[in-house]
Amino acid sequence: MNIVGYRQVRALAGLSVLELYRRKDLIVVFLLCAIILLPLMLFSPFGVSGASRYVDELALLLVWVFSLVIGLGVSARLFPPEFENRTIYPMLSKPVGRGTLLAGKYMGALAASVSALVVFYLAYALLIGMRQGVWFPGILLQAFVLHVGFLVVVTALGLAGSLVMTPSANLTLCALTLLGMLFYGQRLPELAASQQPFGRCMLLALYAVGPHVEFFDLRQRVVHEWPAIGWDVCLAVMVYAVGYAAVCLMLAALAFRKKKF
Amino acid sequence: MNKQRLQTCWSLFGVVLVAAWGQLLPVRFNGRMPQASGGDVLALVLGEARLEISRSLTEKADEYFHGGVRDLHCDEGIVSHAHAVSSKGLGTNGVARAGMGHADRDGDHDEGHDDHDAEHASGVSARGDLWRWIDSRVHEQTHRHLKSDQMIEVLPWFWAASRVSGKNTEAYESGAYVLAYALDKPEEGVKLLEEGVRNNPAAPSLDFMMGEILLHLEHDSARAEPWFTSAHAKARAALQGAKRTDEQKMVCLRSAFYLGYLAKQRGDWARVRAFADEAESLAPENVVTHDLRSLLKADQPKP
Repeated sequence: MNIVGYRQVRALAGLSVLELYRRKDLIVVFLLCAIILLPLMLFSPFGVSGASRYVDELALLLVWVFSLVIGLGVSARLFPPEFENRTIYPMLSKPVGRGTLLAGKYMGALAASVSALVVFYLAYALLIGMRQGVWFPGILLQAFVLHVGFLVVVTALGLAGSLVMTPSANLTLCALTLLGMLFYGQRLPELAASQQPFGRCMLLALYAVGPHVEFFDLRQRVVHEWPAIGWDVCLAVMVYAVGYAAVCLMLAALAFRKKKF
Repeated sequence: MNKQRLQTCWSLFGVVLVAAWGQLLPVRFNGRMPQASGGDVLALVLGEARLEISRSLTEKADEYFHGGVRDLHCDEGIVSHAHAVSSKGLGTNGVARAGMGHADRDGDHDEGHDDHDAEHASGVSARGDLWRWIDSRVHEQTHRHLKSDQMIEVLPWFWAASRVSGKNTEAYESGAYVLAYALDKPEEGVKLLEEGVRNNPAAPSLDFMMGEILLHLEHDSARAEPWFTSAHAKARAALQGAKRTDEQKMVCLRSAFYLGYLAKQRGDWARVRAFADEAESLAPENVVTHDLRSLLKADQPKP
């Protein structure tokens, strides 16, 4: 990609980040987190204070839920308004290539989601630092890195889906797939074993090609203070994330090239 | 009156009518309404599902106790761990825990067992499956039990479990154990058990635990004995019913042991013998029966 293409991608990405902060989504979810967590932090069951893991677990769950909502919401809403308002024509006639536009939009969605994630993790680190006196443990850095990997996959999936489906269908299908894989991804082979041949083939196919977002979930390790995983494992998971996102973006590029506005 | 005013009047009349009907219904069909009066919001919304939700919250506490490891076949639970943690303090008033076995009596049960540090991979072979291999590396589990000062972490789940359903006796039992033995707050444990007994008047295990806490931690045999008596009576009544369980039998035996022990303290040997005979008829080979026989042999005055 030449220098002009790079500038175009950066400009498009910047627009997406601005869009997130202009809509004030982040402030809303941040307030929601505070409303849920603050009373819990002050709560002392049976008059005994000092328990912290349940707050950590709930805080991380909220971080995961809201990062999914933001990641999917931002990526799935990038193209449909452009098609609807017909602003895609002036954009493509700039001239900005379709590939550049797609890359710019994707980078924007990812940057916006990761910037929100940074805010969430900083708030979480502050929370456990103040409550437990542990500031930025190593496992938290790994959890953040893998969470970024999760967003790499989520935004790519959301963007690809937005080019082939209506926004509501895309959001619903992506959310169901991601949550399903997060909770049942590793149980699919066992579930498949007890099915009829057709169901077994479907489940095994889903296991083979579905997004294994459970790889990125280090919540249990963080909450229960397990030791950090090896950085080689971390790297392997990030390679999976980038590879999966690349495949999604290639399919998105294919769909975008054939799309008639 | 114009049409708009007429509409407003009709709307207001409708609102008043609905409100009055809402007030009238419980009076008119008193006792025949689907909701019981005085029931809380959780009872109305969740109904019978409350107990299941409460049990899953108790399982969550168990997961916390095992350091976040789920679906684990580990023999040690929260209550047995609390027994082990507190066992050193139990010998002080001269009575061993009934039915906990002889190792407990020495105060050395599970010493150094706080951390198994047994590495648990995801449990399924990852051979030839790349996804499973990655997952087993990411989610490789370290099974370690909470130390006694960390046991506070399980309390919020027991609190939630006991609030969601008052019928979950395990939540009261385990919560009281953690409070009394691991966190050294026996009075808080007693309060929780009192609430549990109010909600579950037929459950002998709660009465028994109350007696144990009062005897071992508060050293108050006068307050403990009525609880052992009621536990014994409830367990015996349950054993005569259709649904006999081993747990009821154990509560019956163990409360008999404590009652026998307290009778021995008073020199009431006839009562000790009666409890020993009862234990003999219930479970002749049980360790509690053996302990009761030992009580008789050890200090009985020679005729």
